[in-house]
Amino acid sequence: MSLSSTFENWFAPSAATASWTLDRLRGIDPVLGFAIVMVVAVVLGEILRRRFRLPRLCGHMLTGALASPLALRLLERTDLDPVKPLIDLAIGVLVFELGSRIRPRWLIDNPWLALTCVLEGVLSGLAVYVGLLAFDAPSISAALAGAVAMSTSPVIVLALVHQMRPRGQVTERLLMMSAINSVLAVVALKAWGVLAASGGVGVEPVGLEPAITSALLVVSGSFLLGVAAGWVLTQLTKQVRGLTTAPVLQIALVIIAAMLAAQWRLSPLLALLVAGMVARSRMAHGLTVEPQLGTAGATLSVLLFICLGMLFTLDGFTTLWPWVLVIVVARLVGKGIAIAVLTRPSGLGWRQAGALTIALQPMSSLAVLLTADTFGWPSQLPGANGGVLQALLISTTLLQFIGPLLAERAVRDLAQECAPVPKTKAP
Amino acid sequence: MALAEFTTSEPLTLGVELELQLVSTHDFDLAPQAEDLLRVLAKHSGAWDVKPEITRSMIEIGTSIQREHSGLVAELHDLRGQLSQAARKLNIGIAGGGTHAYQHWSDQQIFPTERFHYISELYGYLAKQFTVFGQHVHVGCEDGDTALWLLHALSRYVPHFIALSASSPFVQGVDTGFDSARLNSVFAFPLSGRAPFVTTWDDFGLYFDKMTSTGVVQSMKDFYWDIRPKPEFGTIELRVCDTPLDVDKAAALACYLQAICRYLREERPFEPSEDDYLVYTFNRFQACRFGLDGEIVDPQTKQREKLRDNIVRTLARVDEHALDLRSLDASNLIRDSLRHGNDAQWLRGLRASGEPLSSVVHSATERWMG
Repeated sequence: MSLSSTFENWFAPSAATASWTLDRLRGIDPVLGFAIVMVVAVVLGEILRRRFRLPRLCGHMLTGALASPLALRLLERTDLDPVKPLIDLAIGVLVFELGSRIRPRWLIDNPWLALTCVLEGVLSGLAVYVGLLAFDAPSISAALAGAVAMSTSPVIVLALVHQMRPRGQVTERLLMMSAINSVLAVVALKAWGVLAASGGVGVEPVGLEPAITSALLVVSGSFLLGVAAGWVLTQLTKQVRGLTTAPVLQIALVIIAAMLAAQWRLSPLLALLVAGMVARSRMAHGLTVEPQLGTAGATLSVLLFICLGMLFTLDGFTTLWPWVLVIVVARLVGKGIAIAVLTRPSGLGWRQAGALTIALQPMSSLAVLLTADTFGWPSQLPGANGGVLQALLISTTLLQFIGPLLAERAVRDLAQECAPVPKTKAP
Repeated sequence: MALAEFTTSEPLTLGVELELQLVSTHDFDLAPQAEDLLRVLAKHSGAWDVKPEITRSMIEIGTSIQREHSGLVAELHDLRGQLSQAARKLNIGIAGGGTHAYQHWSDQQIFPTERFHYISELYGYLAKQFTVFGQHVHVGCEDGDTALWLLHALSRYVPHFIALSASSPFVQGVDTGFDSARLNSVFAFPLSGRAPFVTTWDDFGLYFDKMTSTGVVQSMKDFYWDIRPKPEFGTIELRVCDTPLDVDKAAALACYLQAICRYLREERPFEPSEDDYLVYTFNRFQACRFGLDGEIVDPQTKQREKLRDNIVRTLARVDEHALDLRSLDASNLIRDSLRHGNDAQWLRGLRASGEPLSSVVHSATERWMG
């Protein structure tokens, strides 16, 4: 349906179609539908923010969920596939910003922190894997769930940081850990893919060597691509030298790096993280990364969270809830134990350790989303048990929606890293 | 509350306090992480002290009692090393400088202690605007009368210390034109400026009683004077210096003060009088505004000369005492800084070369942390 015919149908005074029905809304052009959903998302995000002090992105995701087949079915999930490049760009922009925001040298200055970062990712993955096995999940699918559960959503974390502007240890560590555990998840998923393919459906894998080789190739290839992208950006920025053109250049480089990474079966996430780090280290104060790379990036970010909301699923929750519970609790416990064990050596307070554990809860499927061709990525995974996969998606849904809320409370109230709102008196 | 007895301490012993900036290594704006740094430093191995300051982006370090330049330098280097290591562990930077170049005062958070909350309630936004960073130098005195005599005799040299230590040209993102803009924040406090001309400890006790009876002050801490007695330590405390950009300069300033104090005590070149203060605020302003290029008026001779020349002359007079105090290295460092300019000029030079202010703060951080 074209845009003009949509408008004609929309405003045509017809007795039969004058009433505003859901079916009528469902019939409109997906582009117009998206635009309307975006308007609702922005307004709802603001209302939830003011009335209930919820993070804006919760409003955006809620709008997506309401428009999705989960509730009103205004948009189908397949409607998302044409906009996937935009969503990839939104994620890429945020990941690049995250890379430019963290300082890898910190991991050398504080080796206990480096150990915490690795341990919390590995322990949470292992805890989920072992937990699911204990509840009779197939081994190969449990491993997949474990790999995905390692990561904290870097885009949710960064969106919260943009909104709250917190400053402190928990925030700094949250950013660093979400970057590292996402990379760990990428590596683990790559290894899992090779293992699963070699083992076939429902069969145990034959050897670790191909998996490790494949993971190493992805890591080194993505790293080199990221270094190259960061270096190119540095060189080109010297030629441009203009605050208005810098974000355009950065967005273009993000698109190129992400597409090359996807084409070469590397990890766009790792490549963009490294690109951000390299650009920061080479340009230092010459690199100005606008939050979300400016207004266009902010718009993409709203679209991204609507799309994440549209992917929410609770199908089969009544039967799958034990596995969902295992994933959520085991992940929390795994991350909590790793952080608690290394709290003091890494220089953190107990209250902050609690806040950090909670703030790490927003989970996402971004580690695989960027490399997949469509949003129906779960169907592309070989040998994954449908039940475990659905339990994983439900867990992701829950932690994507509740996670930001918990993270915000943890950073603001528990860690107290947000500047207090100044008290004002009416004149 | 009555004025405390003046504790006797060994004359000319030194103690240095430095208020330091905690900055983020990401954007180099102030980072409210004093509690984190204090926690990591809780078991430091030095005799020095580290404690919170009014806002959460500041800490104050204090040396142990020192007699000589070499011991002071060694301790300052030790504390700088331990502080820097702890800061790196937390991914924060530590910088000297009297002001942060572009922090916004309203973003600052009051450090959660009873006294700081009291100050915040009393002074309102001034408390947050007091996110400025100074060096305080304590000089030991045997009794209160000597302390007050020395306090007033030193008033003529206050511009020296302002100009030599000046390191706060930028405030809220702009060049103020002042070498030490920090002291403008201190002026806003009602009990700032010079101490009243009282020369015996008994008379000072009467003055203190009158002030406490008005309810305006509760303790000596409520006086924000440029030099104030600290009876519980048995010292006078010079408070006009901006925190220098490195610890060597901090040690040199302290030892320059020590040499002047010895010169004043042993040679008694003049008797302080109320008239010394006729030119006090003018000289002070010149030092804040123009630094070493400012002018200074001698209250006795009414002669006017460049502050830089006045410091050169003073260094020559006190050299013999510096030699006896084994602080000639400190005097030489002061001489060098007269040639190369103060820290404010160094910061302005970076900005003039086209560096953004975040880069200027970054450079200051690298200079302090080594």
